[in-house]
Amino acid sequence: MTSIVGATISVPSSRSLCFNQATPRISGLKPVSVSIQKKSFPSLKFRRSFRVSCSAKPETVDKVCEIVRKQLALPADSAVTGESKFVSLGADSLDTVEIVMGLEEAFGISVEEESAQTIATVQDAADLIEKLVEKK
Amino acid sequence: MAFTLRSVKVPPNSVTLEEARSRTFDFFRKACRSLPSVMEIYNLHDVATISHLRSSISSQIRKNAHITNPKVIDMLLFKGLEELNNIAEHAKQRHHIIGQYVLGSEGLVQDHDQDRKDPGASKFLKNFYTSNYF
Repeated sequence: MTSIVGATISVPSSRSLCFNQATPRISGLKPVSVSIQKKSFPSLKFRRSFRVSCSAKPETVDKVCEIVRKQLALPADSAVTGESKFVSLGADSLDTVEIVMGLEEAFGISVEEESAQTIATVQDAADLIEKLVEKK
Repeated sequence: MAFTLRSVKVPPNSVTLEEARSRTFDFFRKACRSLPSVMEIYNLHDVATISHLRSSISSQIRKNAHITNPKVIDMLLFKGLEELNNIAEHAKQRHHIIGQYVLGSEGLVQDHDQDRKDPGASKFLKNFYTSNYF
């Protein structure tokens, strides 16, 4: 009988002990750092894209022009500059894909399908090549 | 002998011409990416270059460029993929590749005797000997 009484007395004290330990830990630092990162990302992205669009080296552009000229069988004196579109030089869609494959082979890179869809001018191709060569 | 097939299941037919067009480009890219290994397998380094083979592939695709029915295009792509698989797994031989993809319109037999035996033959006669339409 006395043992039962002793048992009932000891239970509430242990319960109160558990209660004291279970305090939730709030880390207030984490959410603040994430927001700081979010704030700085857009400016970085903006700067990087601005740099790539005007940084294609002239010898890359020349190499691209050479491959385009050979593929479309253009005479040597035709004007192929950075801004000339493939369609205006007389290339149909299969020619564009073939030019991209020729560039893949010449520069040893591999272009994704989505990026290949967006290539319309010689300058686009040269910029994409620069970006992929840098990544290698 | 284990012949590994690249794709056993046939994808459903393309719904629009645009989808068929993008499938054609995917097939062309796949073929071009396997060209270096084809050159190695059949030892074509002295006979042709990669750009030569690439332009022969694209001229064969262009021969059927006038077709507008997406189902017919799918069928042609299936045949092309089967051919590509055969070539890539070395089921064909070197003379097949040379005759079908490296040589142009002159074909396998090049009659150089014509120039030596009959140098006075006119251009008309030479064209007449090669084909009916010129």
